[in-house]
Amino acid sequence: MLVNLKLLKKRAQKEIAQAGDLKLLNEVFKRYLGKKGELTFVLRSLEKIPKAKRKKIGQEANELKKFLKIQFDQRAAGLKEKVKKEDEEKEWIDITRPGKRPLVGHLHPLTQVKKKTEEIFQAMGFNITEGPETENEWYNFDALNIPKDHPARDFWDTFYLKDGLLLRTHTTPVDVRYMEKNNPPLRIITIGRCFRHEATDASHESNFYQIDGLMVGPDVSVANFKATIQEFFQRFFSKPIEIRMRPSYFPFTEPSFEVDMSCLVCGGKGCSACQRTGWMEMMGAGMMHPNVFKNAGLNPKNWQGWAFGMGFDRLAMMKYKINDIRLFYSGDLRFLKQF
Amino acid sequence: MVFSYNWLKDYIKNLPKPTKLAELLNLYAFEVEEVKKAGSDWVLDVDVLPSRGPDCFSHIGIAREIAAIAGLNLQIPTAEVKEDKDIKTKDFVSVEVKNKQACLRYTARAVSNIKVGPSPKWLKDRLRVCGLRPVNNVVDIANYVMLETGQPLHAFDGEKIEGKKIVVRFAKKNEKIVTLDEEKYELDENILVIADAKRPVAVAGIKGGKLPEIDKKTKTIVLESANFAPWVVRKASQKLKLKTDASWRFEHGLDPNLTELAINRAAFLIQKLAKGKAAKGVIDFYPQKVLPRRIKLDLNYLEKLLGAKIPLWHVKDILKRLELKPKVFRSQSIIVEVPTFRRDLSIPEDLIEEIGRIYGYEKIKAVFPNVSLVPPKKNLNVFWEEVIKNILKGAGFSEVYNYSFINENESRLFDKKELVEVENPLSFEQKYLRPSLIPGLLKNIQKNQRHFNDIRIFELGKIFTLQKAQGKVEEKRMLTGVVTGNEFYQLKGVVDLLLHGLGISDIYYDSYKPTPEESKLAIWHTQKCAEIKVGLEEIGFLGEISQKTIDSFKIEKKLVVFDIDFEKLQKLSSEETIYQPISRYPAAVRDLAVLVPRGTKVVEVLNKINAVAGSLIRDIDLFDVYEGEELPRGKKNLAFHIVYQAKNKTLSSQEVDQIQQKIVKTLEKNLEWQVRD
Repeated sequence: MLVNLKLLKKRAQKEIAQAGDLKLLNEVFKRYLGKKGELTFVLRSLEKIPKAKRKKIGQEANELKKFLKIQFDQRAAGLKEKVKKEDEEKEWIDITRPGKRPLVGHLHPLTQVKKKTEEIFQAMGFNITEGPETENEWYNFDALNIPKDHPARDFWDTFYLKDGLLLRTHTTPVDVRYMEKNNPPLRIITIGRCFRHEATDASHESNFYQIDGLMVGPDVSVANFKATIQEFFQRFFSKPIEIRMRPSYFPFTEPSFEVDMSCLVCGGKGCSACQRTGWMEMMGAGMMHPNVFKNAGLNPKNWQGWAFGMGFDRLAMMKYKINDIRLFYSGDLRFLKQF
Repeated sequence: MVFSYNWLKDYIKNLPKPTKLAELLNLYAFEVEEVKKAGSDWVLDVDVLPSRGPDCFSHIGIAREIAAIAGLNLQIPTAEVKEDKDIKTKDFVSVEVKNKQACLRYTARAVSNIKVGPSPKWLKDRLRVCGLRPVNNVVDIANYVMLETGQPLHAFDGEKIEGKKIVVRFAKKNEKIVTLDEEKYELDENILVIADAKRPVAVAGIKGGKLPEIDKKTKTIVLESANFAPWVVRKASQKLKLKTDASWRFEHGLDPNLTELAINRAAFLIQKLAKGKAAKGVIDFYPQKVLPRRIKLDLNYLEKLLGAKIPLWHVKDILKRLELKPKVFRSQSIIVEVPTFRRDLSIPEDLIEEIGRIYGYEKIKAVFPNVSLVPPKKNLNVFWEEVIKNILKGAGFSEVYNYSFINENESRLFDKKELVEVENPLSFEQKYLRPSLIPGLLKNIQKNQRHFNDIRIFELGKIFTLQKAQGKVEEKRMLTGVVTGNEFYQLKGVVDLLLHGLGISDIYYDSYKPTPEESKLAIWHTQKCAEIKVGLEEIGFLGEISQKTIDSFKIEKKLVVFDIDFEKLQKLSSEETIYQPISRYPAAVRDLAVLVPRGTKVVEVLNKINAVAGSLIRDIDLFDVYEGEELPRGKKNLAFHIVYQAKNKTLSSQEVDQIQQKIVKTLEKNLEWQVRD
């Protein structure tokens, strides 16, 4: 038994390293560790070796067998990795080709803006309320302190129905309906369809949406209105926004204001979008008139609060830079599929 | 209303520059629409708030407002009439007011020996800047004083007033008047007129009549400065469809105390510019003198409503600048006397607005309210609307919003008795309120079909029907969707998906049995239409639109529609889902093909299968329906995958075969049904 295990080890290591693919590696394996392999032969022939040497050589040969097995495994793993890598490389695809989109529909822009608005107000504790689109004179006008035979009524061009009702001209009637049934303190917003009897153009529609907000409590103030509405605009447009209030007149609020916000485009410096004023007119608002509280069955001595009304289509138009309100009601899928 | 900058400057010496002035007005009083140069003058187009019509439809009013805002001095022109002792007003005219509710005050003066002619340039310029056409010195002065004070005036030719008598009365039926602009109007008992002894000579507060018109020969004039009740003028103006500068001012209400100042200003200017002699005395019918109001202002409330503390000295200063008189001071309140020209101020909140705006809303700091932490209530309508819309969006449907109106053509699809008619439509498109969302959606298809092949759209909106029995309008929300093509089963699948998404399981489809009226209207295809039912309740329809309807909307493809009552759907919807344990035992699949007559409903076969082996079947899937030449005539082949699975044990192959055999036997009890191998 004159095989030099050290040389064998060296030779085997070299051959393992040189085996370029799994098939060659397998052959090398067979040569050393196969049934007729060199090392197998050594191990088999141990018994022919004198006892004195047998133990030592046996130990060395077994260790070498373990060692080579590990070497084979490692090399095999490395070669497999390589094969996978090569295979993968063959599977090149053109990732610039367009993807295949599942067929999904589109929600109307007003639906999307409504949801966003409702989320912001709900986060501030406001309930979402609703009311009928066909109204009577009481809720639409009288209860809101808009007297009959008063020029103030001319502001609300009204569609009348043959059955004595009318199409609500604003969502403010819902404030009265809600206060009749719910005691303050209260915080509500209403977003709904309203109607104006006026000619249609890019910024006027016979039906449109309005958002109305109302907050009533023992000490709800103008300062509170300012903070709440500023917060709303900032969250809605995701940018810092300033609020400005100017005197106005609505029969159902006293004091009344027009609310402007700093221009979205120039931030207040003045640009063509804001007619160089730095401000954009957003809504009418005010402190609820005591007569409205009375008409809703509340004692104005105990309660005060603010209300606002804002064209909702316009809010969506500003958000998406839409220049014609009629697109919302056109049903034109070339428009709707953009949202 | 437009204002002359130079004119305002007469009253306020150091008036701010025009653009600065516009800015001040904008922030503290009224919106200024436009500032524009007009010769040597500037024109300010001011949107005077309707509540301020009584005092601010006038140059003096606006000047007073500017003085208050900017803290400037105001100088109102005087009107000292030099009366001629030898002639008396009452010798020229007498005044009788028949209705003191309609005419609150009537002030008259006479000026004789006047010379009618053109006005001087400065006067003409002022009128032109303010948009009025100069006529002659007398008429121009009346207009000028109106623009100056806000009080409409009228000048009659004194010699043309029959009987030297002015009677303020309601017109008689069939009385007529020809106005200064030669228009003829029929009058009635609701229209207040100024009449002489015989006939109406002016429509009170609206327009003068042709008869006593001032002309070149006029020597004596009678000036009228009156206060007519707003409702009287408004009614007459609406009735006659006649709006004038005067009617507009009266409609907004005027201070009755203004008539005197105005008539004296006019007489003063006529003396000056038309060389007349003012007769002695003023005829003044003024039975109920209007006195200044007093309003108690609680200072705590002022602070509480504005949410800002304004020092008392500042409050007083603001009130004084506005010519409001803080009179009595108590520890926490002030009694404020309001001059009669501020007719808009009557409650404490009105004063708070005045203080707030002059103080400046910009000085009020934004403060979040102190409120108790009550989370908002869930609005179920809003919640389910959102869920529904998202499901439909996921199923490839795009959402549309249509008008709430339908036109006469579209109305033919519906029972006229149930339509809600619009009293004053602007166009024929707005004849009725929509009783269904279907016409709107069909129009959408018609408009979009040129651009898109396959269209899937829906709308969730309100419809309106007249409930004749209760005599009221019913308003309810519908959910309606449409898909193009011969897609009944696809849309039925969408309805299933939707209802399952809403937690509704007890769904079935029933044959549609139209009432005779519905048959006449024929929106739906009579065969390809089903009622959608949940439990015993019908919640809507699913079906193809009839060819007749499609043709009338000029639509090229077939359409399938679902039309569901949202209110019912919302009530049935539930968020609750209960987990069903997953069986630990294996499932076995067998196929089953049955040859049945064409008219057999799938549900009949399914019911039979379930009746035999329901508890051991996890799922049955109809994977093919075939009708073709290889099959006997009038037959169709239904092919099912049946998934067998027990909850408590493994079903052996033999057991499954036995069950399947049982099913086959049961099915074949019907002699027309034949199970195929």
